[in-house]
Amino acid sequence: MPNPPEAAELILRALLPADARECVSGDLLEEYRESRVPSAGELRADLWYWRQVGGIWLRAYWWLVAPVVLVLALFDTFNYVSSPLGASFGMPTGLPFAVQPPLVAVGLVAFATAYGSWRTGRWQGGFVAALGVSVILWSFAVVWSNATFYPLALRAQSDPQWIAAWHWSTQHGHAARNVTFLDWLYWDNVGSLIIAGILLLVTSFVCGGVGAILGELMSHRRRRA
Amino acid sequence: MADILGSFEQAVLLAIVRLDEGAYGRAILKEVEVRLEREVAAGAVQATLERLERKGLVRSRLGSGTPIRDGRARRFYTVLAEGLRALNDARKTHESVWRGFPRPLKGRG
Repeated sequence: MPNPPEAAELILRALLPADARECVSGDLLEEYRESRVPSAGELRADLWYWRQVGGIWLRAYWWLVAPVVLVLALFDTFNYVSSPLGASFGMPTGLPFAVQPPLVAVGLVAFATAYGSWRTGRWQGGFVAALGVSVILWSFAVVWSNATFYPLALRAQSDPQWIAAWHWSTQHGHAARNVTFLDWLYWDNVGSLIIAGILLLVTSFVCGGVGAILGELMSHRRRRA
Repeated sequence: MADILGSFEQAVLLAIVRLDEGAYGRAILKEVEVRLEREVAAGAVQATLERLERKGLVRSRLGSGTPIRDGRARRFYTVLAEGLRALNDARKTHESVWRGFPRPLKGRG
C-alpha cells in the first residue's frame, strides 16, 4: 500500500495532541490510500498530504503568529517614518528595549515551543511549533524586505551614513569596487536575511529545547492533577 | 435560543446525523465535501468536531481501526440532544430569514 511522505507524517504526529494522534493520522492515511492516490497519483497525493499537515499547524498556531507579524510590520513602518536611518528591522527609537523586534521574535519562538509541548504532551510538539513559527517569521521578513526595498533605498541614498557605509565596504573589499549603491544595499539586505534565517533556526532549537522541556513538565503535572 | 450554529458547523453536524453509526472522522469529511460540493481541509473538520464536543453538542468514542489505516483507531461521533436542538434552532432561523422571498431570488432589473 502507498504511504504518505514520512517527514509529513512525523510532523503531523508531533503536532497532534495525544487523544487525536491515532485517529486524525489514521483518517488522513485512509483518505490518502483510498481516495487521493488512486484518483490523482502519488505525487499529487503527497502534495495534498503536506497541505493538510500545514493546515492543521496553521489552525493550531495562527493566533500566535498573526498578531506578531502585524506588530513587526508596524514596528518597521514606525521605524521607517521616525528613524533618520530608515533601516529595516533596525532598533526603533523611542520604544522600550523589551519590545524590540528581534526580542519579540525570540520571545514568540520560545512561547510557541512551550505552548506546543504543553498542548501535545510531548517535546516534539514544541519543536514543530517553534520550527513552524521560525519559518513563517523568516518568510515574512523576506517578503517584507523585498516589498519595502524601494522606499528604503530612496531614503538611504540621501543619507550620509548609508553612503559612508557603502564607500567603506567597497574600499575594504567587502563589496566589489564598482558595485552601485542600490546593488550593494540589496545584497546587504540579502545577507541580513540569510543571517536572520540561521539565527531564527538556532533560536528555535535553543529556545525549543528549553521551552519543550518546560512544556512537557507542565503537561505531565496537568495530567497528574 | 442557543447560539446560532455557523454554516460549516451545521454541515458537520448534519453529516454526523446522516452517517448515523458510521460517523467517524474521514467519513464525516467526505460527507461534508459532497454536501458543500467543494474540497474541505481535514483540519477544518477536525477543529469543528473538537469545538462541537467542547460545546456539548456531540459526543465521541474510540472505535476499531481497519487495515487500510494500519489499524489506527477511528473516533466515532454522535449528536447529542443539545446538538439536535441547536440544529433545529438554526433551521428555524434560516427559514425565518428567507420567508417571503421567491426561489430563486431575482433582482429588480
